[in-house]
Amino acid sequence: MPTMTMVQAVVQALDEEMSRDNRVVVMGEDVGKRGGVFLATEGLQQKYGPDRVIDTPLSEAAIIGAALGMASHGMRPVAEVQFADYVFPGFDQLVSQVAKLRYRSGGQFTAPMVIRMPSGGGVRGGHHHSQSPEAHFAHTAGLKVVVVSTPYDTRGLLKSAVRDDNPVVFMEPKRLYRAIKEEVPSQEYLIPIGEAAIRKEGKDISLISYGGSMVETQKAAEELEGVGVSAEVIDLRSLMPWDKETVLASVAKTGRVLVVSEAPRMASIASEVAATIAEEVLDSLEAPPLRVTGFDTPYPYAQDKVYMPTVTRILNAAKRVLDY
Amino acid sequence: MTKQSAQFEPFTPKTISLLTEQGDWAGPFKLDLDQATLKRFYRDMLAARLLDEKFTILLRTGKIAFVAPHSGHEAAQIGLAHALQRGHDWFFPYYRDAGAILALGVPLKEMFGHALATLADPAKGRQMPGHFGSKSLNAFTPASAIASHVPPAAGAAISMKLQNTRQVSVCTFGDGATSEGDWYAGVNIAAVQGAPAIFVCENNKYAISLHYSHQTAAASVAEKAHAFGIPGYRVDGLDVLASYYVMKDVIERSRQGHGSALVELEVYRFGPHSSADDDTRYRPKEEVEAWRQKDPILRFQRFLERQSIWTKDWEESLRAEIKAEQEAALQEAISAGEPPVEWMFDDVFSEMPWHLEEQRRLVTDELS
Ligand SMILES: Cc1ncc(C[n+]2csc(CCOP(=O)(O)OP(=O)(O)O)c2C)c(N)n1
Repeated sequence: MPTMTMVQAVVQALDEEMSRDNRVVVMGEDVGKRGGVFLATEGLQQKYGPDRVIDTPLSEAAIIGAALGMASHGMRPVAEVQFADYVFPGFDQLVSQVAKLRYRSGGQFTAPMVIRMPSGGGVRGGHHHSQSPEAHFAHTAGLKVVVVSTPYDTRGLLKSAVRDDNPVVFMEPKRLYRAIKEEVPSQEYLIPIGEAAIRKEGKDISLISYGGSMVETQKAAEELEGVGVSAEVIDLRSLMPWDKETVLASVAKTGRVLVVSEAPRMASIASEVAATIAEEVLDSLEAPPLRVTGFDTPYPYAQDKVYMPTVTRILNAAKRVLDY
Repeated sequence: MTKQSAQFEPFTPKTISLLTEQGDWAGPFKLDLDQATLKRFYRDMLAARLLDEKFTILLRTGKIAFVAPHSGHEAAQIGLAHALQRGHDWFFPYYRDAGAILALGVPLKEMFGHALATLADPAKGRQMPGHFGSKSLNAFTPASAIASHVPPAAGAAISMKLQNTRQVSVCTFGDGATSEGDWYAGVNIAAVQGAPAIFVCENNKYAISLHYSHQTAAASVAEKAHAFGIPGYRVDGLDVLASYYVMKDVIERSRQGHGSALVELEVYRFGPHSSADDDTRYRPKEEVEAWRQKDPILRFQRFLERQSIWTKDWEESLRAEIKAEQEAALQEAISAGEPPVEWMFDDVFSEMPWHLEEQRRLVTDELS
C-alpha cells in the first residue's frame, strides 16, 4: 500500500474525483499554477487545464458565490478558501446563499459543492492563520461540516463530500498536513459523512475529539494507559451531522467523558456534544462531562502553544473526571 | 510647459514618472526639495532594504516565524510616508508596509519587538510578524485579512470630515486586494461621502502567484476610480520622487475638502510573496532579474550622484550607521523579554468577564 500525507491525500481525492466526473472543478486563490499555498492542489491544473482548475481573483465572496452558481447550474465545484480565517469575506455567500438555497427554493435548487479550507493553529500564524471556525458552520443550517485528522480519512471523506448533494465545508487542520504519513489503499474507497471513528477502545473514560486536537488527545490516552486507565478515543470526523450514536454508546460504557477541541469554548461543538451527553445519558455518568478547549480569546501569536489544549491540560481534566 | 508647482492630472494615459531610469529629473516643474530631505528619502529607502535583509537573516536563524519582504516597494512606501503629516494624518497599512512604517518613524525597537513578539512590541505579541501599527503615529494596526482595512480607512476619513480635523486617511493594499468586496465597499463609501481618504495600491503585479492579468480585466487599478467618481492616478512606484509628489498633491487636495482619490503605485516585488512562498513556481527568474535591474534605490542613487549628493563614502558610512542602529534595536527588543503568558487574556474586552478569568486561572495553575 502507498503511504501518503494528508495534503497528498487531498490531491489524490481531487484527482480521482476530477477524472471520474468532469463536472468536478477546483477553484480558489493560487490553486492552479502554484498548486495551492499548501500544495493541496499540486499538479491538477497541469493535468486538467485552467478551465477545470481555476485560479480565481482574490475574493472569497466570488469563490464561494460563483461556486454556488456553478453548482446550481450543474457543476460540482470544489472551492478552496486559502485559510479558514479568510472565509469571512465569503461568509455572506456561505450563510445567505449556499446554506439556504435548497430550503428557500423548497428543494428545487441545490448546491452540491465542497468548500475546503485549512484550519486550526499550531503553525505560529497568529489569529488570521490559526482559527477553528467550525461552530459558525455547524450553527448555520444547511451546511454539512467535516474536520479530518488522518490521510486515510481525508481521501475517503473528501471523495464523499464531492459526491454529496449538499454543500460540505471540509476542514483540513493545517498542522497535520505533513505531520502524519499513513498507508492508504491503492484502490479507491469512500467514508460516509456522519460516522465517527473509534481510534482506540477503552472502558474507563471516553475522550471525544476531532481535527488537530486528535494528536494531543491520542497522546493523553497513551499516557493514561501508562497509569492503568483505559481510555476510549473517538474521532468525530463529521461535525454536521455528528455521530451521536457512537458517542453516547461509548459514554454509556465508560461513564466518564472529556470533549477536546482547540476551537474556542463558547457556543462550540464541544459544548454541543457535552450538552447532548448530559441530556441523554445522565444516568450513565459517573462525573460531569468536561470540555477541554481553546480559549475565548482571539488566537494569540505569542502564546501559540498555550492556546490549544495541551496533553497536560487534557490529563488534568481527565484526573478531575476520574477522581470525581 | 513648466508648471509652477507639483499638480497632477488624474487618468493620464502614461504612468506618472519624474525621474528617468538613468536618474535624470524629468518633472514638468522645479524640484523643490532641499538636500537634507533628499538625503532622508535615500536613507529611509536604504534602511528599508536593509531591514528586509535583516528580517530574512532572523528568519533563517529561526528567530522569527514569518516575513513578507517589501524589497522593490521602497520608493513607493518611502514616498508616501513622507507625503503624510506624520502623527497627524492616519495611515492604514497592510502587511507589506514595513518600509513605510519605518519611514513614518515607528521606532526600530518596536518593529523588532513586534517581529520577535517581545515586550518591546506595543501590540504585546498578539499578531504574526509584518503587522506593524502605532497608536502614537496613527498607524492603524493591520489585520491579515486582505482589504478588511479599507472600509475602516473610509470611516476614519468620514470622521475627519465630520470633525473638521484637516487630517487625511491613507490606506495601502496590493493589487489582489482590489478584488475583494470590502475594497469596493470601502472606496465607495469614502467617495460618496467626499471623505479625505486616499486609497493607494502598491501594485507589484502579483497576488501570491496570481498575475495582475488574471486578477482583473481592467487595464489599470487607477482607472477603477472612474466607477467611484473619484480621480485615479497611475504612478511609477519605483520612482520615489513621483511617489512623493503625487501623494503630496493628492493628500493636500483631500485635506482641502476635495474628497477621496485612488493612487496606483506601480512596483515589483523582488522577493517571494512571503517566507512561506516559493516564487519560482509561478514566475520566471529572468522576469525577476529584469525588474531588479530597475531597482528603485539605484535609480534614486544615480539621481543623487548627479546632484553631487551621493558618494561612495557616504553610502558606506550610511550603511554602517543603519546596520549598527538596527542591530542595537534588535538587541534591545530581545532583552525586553517575552510577554507573560497570562497576557493572552487581556484586551479581549475593556474589562475581563468571568469566563476569561476562569480560563486565565486554568493557565496560571497549569504553569505554576
Ligand atoms: C481575505 C484574505 N484572503 C486570502 C488571504 C491570503 N493571502 C495573503 S496575501 C495574499 C495575496 C495578496 O496580494 P496583493 O493584495 O496583491 O498584495 P501583495 O501581497 O502582492 O503585496 C493572499 C491571497 C488573506 N490574507 N486574506
